[in-house]
Amino acid sequence: MIEILEETKGKDGRRNIRVAKENLVALIAELKSQGYDHLSLITGIDKKDKLEVVYHLHNVKENQYIVVRTETSDERVPSISSLYPSANWEEREQYDMLGLVFEGHPNMKRLFLPESWVGHPLRKNYDLSKVQYVNMDEDGNDYATFDPGDGW
Amino acid sequence: MVVPDTAQDTSKDWVELNIGPQHPSTHGVLRLKVKLDGEIVKDVEPIIGYLHRNAEKLCEMDYYCDALVYFDRMDYVGAMNMELGYLEAAEKLLGIPPPERAQWIRVVMAELSRIASHLVWAGAFGLDLGMLTPFFYCFIEREKVLRIFTAVSGSRQQTNYMSIGGVYQDIDDQIIYDIEQFTEEFPKKLEEIFNTFVKNDIFISRNKGIGILEPEVAIQYGVTGPMLRASGIEYDVRKAEPYLVYDKINFDIPVSYKKDNLARFLVRFEEMRQSVKIIKQAIKKIPDGPYFNPKAKKSLMIRLRGEGEVYARTESSKGEFGVYLVGDGGVKPYRVHVRSPALKNLSVLPVLAKDVMIADLFAISGTIDLVFGEVDR
Repeated sequence: MIEILEETKGKDGRRNIRVAKENLVALIAELKSQGYDHLSLITGIDKKDKLEVVYHLHNVKENQYIVVRTETSDERVPSISSLYPSANWEEREQYDMLGLVFEGHPNMKRLFLPESWVGHPLRKNYDLSKVQYVNMDEDGNDYATFDPGDGW
Repeated sequence: MVVPDTAQDTSKDWVELNIGPQHPSTHGVLRLKVKLDGEIVKDVEPIIGYLHRNAEKLCEMDYYCDALVYFDRMDYVGAMNMELGYLEAAEKLLGIPPPERAQWIRVVMAELSRIASHLVWAGAFGLDLGMLTPFFYCFIEREKVLRIFTAVSGSRQQTNYMSIGGVYQDIDDQIIYDIEQFTEEFPKKLEEIFNTFVKNDIFISRNKGIGILEPEVAIQYGVTGPMLRASGIEYDVRKAEPYLVYDKINFDIPVSYKKDNLARFLVRFEEMRQSVKIIKQAIKKIPDGPYFNPKAKKSLMIRLRGEGEVYARTESSKGEFGVYLVGDGGVKPYRVHVRSPALKNLSVLPVLAKDVMIADLFAISGTIDLVFGEVDR
């Protein structure tokens, strides 16, 4: 039996379940076997002292929604990309934007920004005053630099 | 002659080809790393982010009412649908429902926007396959929609017409007449456009049976919208979780069970016909009354505060467009996350384009309906 920390109803009427991150994969696998076959989105929220990860799961046949939430204080969350192929890009996006590291992900790279970008933009403590420029090296790979003369 | 053992040699002889980010067939700035064995595509890796502006961060830095402009710039060919998606979430969070008249006007505008978006798709899809003529026909019709948008909002594409609690300005009899005139004339023109495609044998042979997307794969990858419906799953947010007044309108969801490129083409065309049907009903039903909620009048708008979390989804022209809004009680949103349907639909391309000819790769990526403002945000 998976321990559920809290169950609430959101402002939009959707069922919210909070679990510890150790139980996350087991709970989502259980929900998938109940028919929640479509992972709608994964959102990371920066709560300053911790990061919250929110999973929206959708049952296409019965048209039901469920929201699973978990928290992490060390930026590490177990990956669910083996359960849902669509989690692959979603998790990469959250890594890119918030620095959440999904453990067990096959290809934990940035999705939008170049690999050498410094910082994760959606963090609340991200320094917007430092401008980074993007350029392309001879092999066709993008890289980020602080030097305005190097960028285009 | 010694025929080389292809099973052994292919691993070494793969040619890696880089396509894009600037390429006519990639609809903007998609970059594809393709592994080729002769002309057969063995592996595709889409690389995105060339139009990334981080709209989510920009929204966090603005008031609730100002964040709307970044949504116009997401799916810039069907901007009204994007505005609607954001407002569905923002109005629930702020507790400012739009009045009845604004809801009906929004339905009309959202469906006009869907037609405009599908017409761009159809024209560009023709270009992908080397057909120049339908492109002009599509854009002539699209221009008529954009003229209506100009009349209601003052702007052609980035309309910024809907606002929190209603719409920016009321529509008058002239605009209603123009829209009615459009719905009368458009179906005939649409059949003309349709025939320029389907009466072309090359078009049919390049799309029939190409790019099969199985329904199980589609759901696993989060594919929604016309692509999912072309795989035989009858799922549309307008029916599944009706928003605005869609539950009071009689329309059908087109579904195809053929799962290929041609099915996606046919589904989108049928959607345009259904959109006309919706507009015809909605334009007659627009009630009298206020067109915005007085709680959201302009002087009060920047003082709106939201607390809690809301996820709202709408059916945009690409698929299920979701906006997840988190408010901390301040005048600016704490976190905005956008579920971009085109991004999810793109993620299935490596599956679709496995072991196809390289020319078909563009036919397949054409049917996904990519708009990079939305994919990269």
